[in-house]
Amino acid sequence: MSRNKPVKYSALGLFKRGLSGKEWPRVWRDVDLKKTYDVVIIGAGVHGLSTAYYLAKNHGVKNVAVVDRAYVGGGGSGRNTAILRSNYLTPEGVRFYDRSVDLYRHLAADLNFNVMFAPRGHLTLAHNDGALRTMRWRAEVNKVQGIDSEVIGPEEIKKLVPYMDVSDDTRYPILGALYHPPGGIIRHDAVNWGYARAADAMGVEIHQKTEVLGINTAGGKVTGVRTNRGDVSAPIVINCTAGWATLIADMAGVKLPIITHPLQAAVTEPVQMFLSSVVVSGSLHVYVSQTDRGELVFGASTDPYAAYSMRSSLEFTEELAGHVLELMPSISKMRVLRQWSGLCDITPDFSPIMGFTEVEGFLVDVGWGTYGFKAGPASGEAMAQLAATNKTPEIISAFDLARFEEGRLASERGAAAVGH
Amino acid sequence: MILIPCPNCGPRNSSEFTYEGENKERPNAATVTKAQWRNYLYLKNNPLGWTTETWYHSSGCKKFLVAERHTMTNEIRSTKALGQQGGAS
Amino acid sequence: MSGAQGSSRGAQRLGEVVDRNRTITFTFNGKKYKGLEGDTIISALTANGVKIVSRSWKYHRRRGVMSGNYHDPNCHFQVNDEPNVRGAHRRLEEGMVVSTQNVSPSLKFDIGAVNQKLSRFLTAGFYYKTFIKPERLWPTYEKVLQRFAGGGKVAATGHHVPADKRYAHPDVLVAGGGPSGMSAALSAADAGSNVLLVEEEYELGGFLRWGTADELAVAQSLREKVAAHPKITTLTNAVVAGRYDQNWVSVIERGLPVVMESLIKVRTATLVAAPGLIERPYVFEGNDLPGVMLSTAVLRLVNLYAVKPGERAVVFTGNDSGIAAAEALRGIGVDVVQVVDARHGGGLVRATSSRGVLSGVELSDGSKVLCDLLVVAAGWTAPTTLLNLSGNHPVFDEAGARFVPGPDLDDTVFATGGLVGDGTIDEILAHGAAVGRQASERATNGSVTTVAPAFSPDPHLPLFFGTTKGIVDFSEDVSSKDLLTAAHEGYNSVELLKRYTTATMGPAQGKLETINTVAVLASANGESIEETGTTVWRPPYVPITLGALAGRSYEPVRYSPMQAWHESHGGINIVAGQWMRPEHYGDAAKEVSTVRSGVGIIDVTPLGKFELKGTDVTKLLNLVYVNKWSKLEVGAVRYGVMCGEDGVIFDDGVTGHLSEDRYFMSTTSSGAAGVYAHLESWLQTGFPEWDVTITNVTSAYASINIAGPQSRELLSKLVSDVDLSNEAFPYMNLRTGTIAGVPGCHMWRIGFTGELSFEIHVPAGFGAYVWETLMEHGADFGITPFGLEAQRIMRLEKGHFIVGQDTDGVTQGFSAGIDWLIKLDKDDFIGKPELQWQHDSGAGFRLVGIHPNDPKQVPTEASQIVIDGIIQGRITSSRFSPTLNRSICLGLVVPALAVAGTVVPIRLPNGTIIQGTVMEHHASYDHEGAKLRG
Ligand SMILES: Cc1cc2nc3c(=O)[nH]c(=O)nc-3n(C[C@H](O)[C@H](O)[C@H](O)COP(=O)(O)OP(=O)(O)OC[C@H]3O[C@@H](n4cnc5c(N)ncnc54)[C@H](O)[C@@H]3O)c2cc1C
Ligand SMILES: [Zn+2]
Repeated sequence: MSRNKPVKYSALGLFKRGLSGKEWPRVWRDVDLKKTYDVVIIGAGVHGLSTAYYLAKNHGVKNVAVVDRAYVGGGGSGRNTAILRSNYLTPEGVRFYDRSVDLYRHLAADLNFNVMFAPRGHLTLAHNDGALRTMRWRAEVNKVQGIDSEVIGPEEIKKLVPYMDVSDDTRYPILGALYHPPGGIIRHDAVNWGYARAADAMGVEIHQKTEVLGINTAGGKVTGVRTNRGDVSAPIVINCTAGWATLIADMAGVKLPIITHPLQAAVTEPVQMFLSSVVVSGSLHVYVSQTDRGELVFGASTDPYAAYSMRSSLEFTEELAGHVLELMPSISKMRVLRQWSGLCDITPDFSPIMGFTEVEGFLVDVGWGTYGFKAGPASGEAMAQLAATNKTPEIISAFDLARFEEGRLASERGAAAVGH
Repeated sequence: MILIPCPNCGPRNSSEFTYEGENKERPNAATVTKAQWRNYLYLKNNPLGWTTETWYHSSGCKKFLVAERHTMTNEIRSTKALGQQGGAS
Repeated sequence: MSGAQGSSRGAQRLGEVVDRNRTITFTFNGKKYKGLEGDTIISALTANGVKIVSRSWKYHRRRGVMSGNYHDPNCHFQVNDEPNVRGAHRRLEEGMVVSTQNVSPSLKFDIGAVNQKLSRFLTAGFYYKTFIKPERLWPTYEKVLQRFAGGGKVAATGHHVPADKRYAHPDVLVAGGGPSGMSAALSAADAGSNVLLVEEEYELGGFLRWGTADELAVAQSLREKVAAHPKITTLTNAVVAGRYDQNWVSVIERGLPVVMESLIKVRTATLVAAPGLIERPYVFEGNDLPGVMLSTAVLRLVNLYAVKPGERAVVFTGNDSGIAAAEALRGIGVDVVQVVDARHGGGLVRATSSRGVLSGVELSDGSKVLCDLLVVAAGWTAPTTLLNLSGNHPVFDEAGARFVPGPDLDDTVFATGGLVGDGTIDEILAHGAAVGRQASERATNGSVTTVAPAFSPDPHLPLFFGTTKGIVDFSEDVSSKDLLTAAHEGYNSVELLKRYTTATMGPAQGKLETINTVAVLASANGESIEETGTTVWRPPYVPITLGALAGRSYEPVRYSPMQAWHESHGGINIVAGQWMRPEHYGDAAKEVSTVRSGVGIIDVTPLGKFELKGTDVTKLLNLVYVNKWSKLEVGAVRYGVMCGEDGVIFDDGVTGHLSEDRYFMSTTSSGAAGVYAHLESWLQTGFPEWDVTITNVTSAYASINIAGPQSRELLSKLVSDVDLSNEAFPYMNLRTGTIAGVPGCHMWRIGFTGELSFEIHVPAGFGAYVWETLMEHGADFGITPFGLEAQRIMRLEKGHFIVGQDTDGVTQGFSAGIDWLIKLDKDDFIGKPELQWQHDSGAGFRLVGIHPNDPKQVPTEASQIVIDGIIQGRITSSRFSPTLNRSICLGLVVPALAVAGTVVPIRLPNGTIIQGTVMEHHASYDHEGAKLRG
């Protein structure tokens, strides 16, 4: 098996190669698609890639192919607004996302790839007393689980975000916010590439431009996948295709309680740094952060109807602009540079679906909706364990597919209804 | 902004409507099993392609209508009014 | 100021747009300059001999005019409080304060320029490879990186002046007012269509404006025809910014008085894209030196503004645009020392500099030529953005060396002009005219019969990059070397390359740099440009201010007719969904005690109110409520709870039977719209055969609850046609009558507070009058108005839950303590199966009354009940009860704890644990309801 000799990234390495002009080795290899793998993972987003990485790293399962019909990070993982946090509402959710943020904290060193995690603090604004009560609820649930999360008032908000209009004569006065200091942003592409590179270095194969066209099964068991580059057999196939999840599951005859909705985002031209926190307003359906490059990145709630179209809409930018100017009226002369859209796999309870299906060997890691990027490391770790051991790890046991039929929903509606 | 031809009002911006989603038959509550009922509650076809769905003209005539829409192009190839006339106007 | 000398304004040019009689004074980086009316910031600076106008983003390299149009990445300025102003487009205004962005301390001496020395270490994506360890230092590194954030500054304070939006509904929208666009507009208009013609520049004419005398004459005649045509509306200094589903098009109008820009939302039957061509830069060493300009930048500066961009020029060209630039330069007295024509084998190796500006060029024949201006004409980019946004995929035209519209064009979208091909003016006009006619045909009768003449790009040399490395993306400071390195590392598809190097991600959004990026990548991969493919263009075409997108807020606030009274009587407002209503009038506790001992009135207008009429109303009520409705007598009212199909409570309220087939339903304030849609949904989609008509009368009635032991006495003073006695008008009944002379008022004997009370619904126009009359007549009883807070206290004393506060998104019916209400023996109702299963399994939290053992402690709402580290419940409502003189709560707990007398630990937000006792009833006050019935 050809292996990609890993070369360590470091400042010294940069310096040396800068002097010598020697090129860096490839981030990952381009290899031929084999006929058989131990595990085939569909989707080279953060979930597919991290699952592959932990399969190889934690379980020594290296004969793994990650196939994607586009390119690494071409789905939601390269289109999201990269907000990380763990201040969820259900105890199961809080515990799971906290594990993920924890893995993210050390991911750069783990992957030897700077993923630029910036825990700049995360504010969820409340504009009415109902919302404030929900923030308090989240804070209390979070604290019970040891998460740094607290409700703060307008003066403190103003200190964190000097550009915020916290006066009380606005249409949507700011009554308070849920403040979550460990929340922040990350460089999404770096996470995807870092996982891909590190997995590849251990022998995992990444196959871009490889589209799955069918799932082969026999006697209730998965046997492999059909792709545009030929058939591949594997006893385990993991569906990590987010917005396209039901299309893949349909190929295996598995029904998922998922609806695909587009979610849009937009970015402004850069200006000098003025916003360090991530600011979210559920009532105003908008959130904003500023990148290290100086751009403001905006998101909102999903488009109001199901679709696979990734075309943007004008009303998205109109609404977000209106709402963000309610919060920070002085930035009205900033310009929206670009808008884009991605697909989200929305579940009825705004929690993911991870685990077994009725087809043996066909596993799902889907239902990531508007919030799944932050879950990449923890879900990859857990799914790898599940695939390697054939047992559901405790940390994801609340998120099984059977919960819908059994009426055990894990409702994150209160915490996740607005994008990210 | 997609344009939805309301059978009552003519073509209108989708922002006037509320999306109700894929049409789904309600099982008989007297005989239904948990599996059937939760399938009704939670499972959708979520197709890539043509789908038949309900929209509510909430900022218009307040009528529900059934549309055939393509989930990739958002093209709407037909709409029809639901049920009988009557109700609020 | 670097390179500043005297004025370099030349003699009058034919197509000149400046007014030489009007001087404008402005400052640039603190220094005063003069320009002419009609100048852009850049033409004025160039006229003043300013060559270095900015510093680049990453390496802080000196930069001068490059493309000389709106997209010029080197010409972004801070103007007054506005960041990122396009200096090659924005016109001068008297007193303008212009400064360079992103320099420290000054344009001349910029400390960030040390990055140039480090550039070999700072290759694209370098940050992914370093700053990895130690982790705790990343925030520090990050702060350093942030200092390189580009762009201008926004102020912390200041207001958003709302820019009103408008709509337009033309038959044909033409994007681009050059010869093809004007020709298309004229022919579409002649064919009877209403046309909206939108031009990005200040004047129609496109490239003709900086052309020859003949071209200027053609432009003038077209302009006159357009202006005279009654069916054409023209907008200049406006831009078609995006095309969305079904020809929903955004147009930005700029340069308006007061507001900077405003948005026009256009639903057009057909769209004609005629944006012309954008000249592309050429990649070679030194290509970003001040003094290296594209031929169209030179043509603009010379022919529109009569400005000399240099003294000694070399022209490198692969087309006639370079030749035209040379001619223009000679015409204004610039010494054109050499024209290097690539079509005749000429080649450019590098540009060299002295003191940071261009000083000469090295040609492929080995010669070196001194010059302070290098004009480059390497070819064109067809800005296919609008077509792309319509779902069209551009294809590479090998001969023309550019991407052109693909064949899969939406049938309501058309393209003409430079976007499609090259030709003589006559050919362009003919194509435009044919396409205009097609667009009109499609817009009016749907079928297109006109055939457009063949039109395609002329052969062009594939000039993308030369033999030396240079800058590909000027706004992102990405060089061809960066791209090659990244491609070799494996970021070898356009999408990966662009994300890794950030090429094409900057303010010009690829308009100048995409094609060169693709060309470099293709060479790295050993593929053709066609195989490599291009990136997806994303909206908007040019950046749009948040102010224009936001416009004016149309999120109305609702007020009851009594709001003015509340505000003038000390009412303190609270935002309650769409409504603004009084929370209290100064002292909620006092309001409570007055109501409990005497009488008070509260404005409950926001309650949802519906009139239901028809022979099948009871069927509907039986379907949507969990309880039974068949036996509700005329004159009686009943409380009901609605659940969803998942058994989760979503609204509650009271419905009364007015007469034979008329009912009056009330809902929660925030639930009103949802309940209305819910009812209509079931009626229209489930039971269209039922005879029920629903009218939303929420704001047709003003609603007042008169509560307190003396409420009957008070109301009797104003009512003569209804017997208010307990016998004639018992609890849970309704009557219709006259209040204070106002007929048609509904009176209900219900209340949320637990006191004897009457909820009255008065025709809205009389609301304020009835309210004031009640206050007047209540004076004898010591009446008080009371607000939401007092009502909340009293409802909590009485143990009534609030949907959405004491219940949440998973609270099913049997969790709320309404077992007595849910009638599982009814045939069917919404959510019945789930409720049946909940009933059988006993699953879910239970709502209970809780009294903190310390009566002074009021646990914050949402305080958790935690046992052995596991959350077992939470406080959903809590208040200090002035009536009981103790704290009281409602809470949701696991069934095991929902037993009267159980002591539960309540964790306060500060971590302290207090004890509370689960009560037998939700109500802490009059749980038998004696008061209500009195
Ligand atoms: C605009 C936007 C903003 C967001 N913001 C945030 C945020 O701030 N924080 C957060 O945590 N989450 C956010 N999310 C959600 C997050 O992006 C996703 O949940 C997450 O990226 C999902 O990752 P994934 O690996 O499961 O799927 P994806 O990254 O979507 O990957 C799925 C892959 O499957 C591939 N695929 C599909 N069909 C096939 C096939 N037939 N054969 C082969 N391959 C196939 C696709 O090409 C794709 O690459 C956001 C999402 C969007 C769209
Ligand atoms: Zn309608």
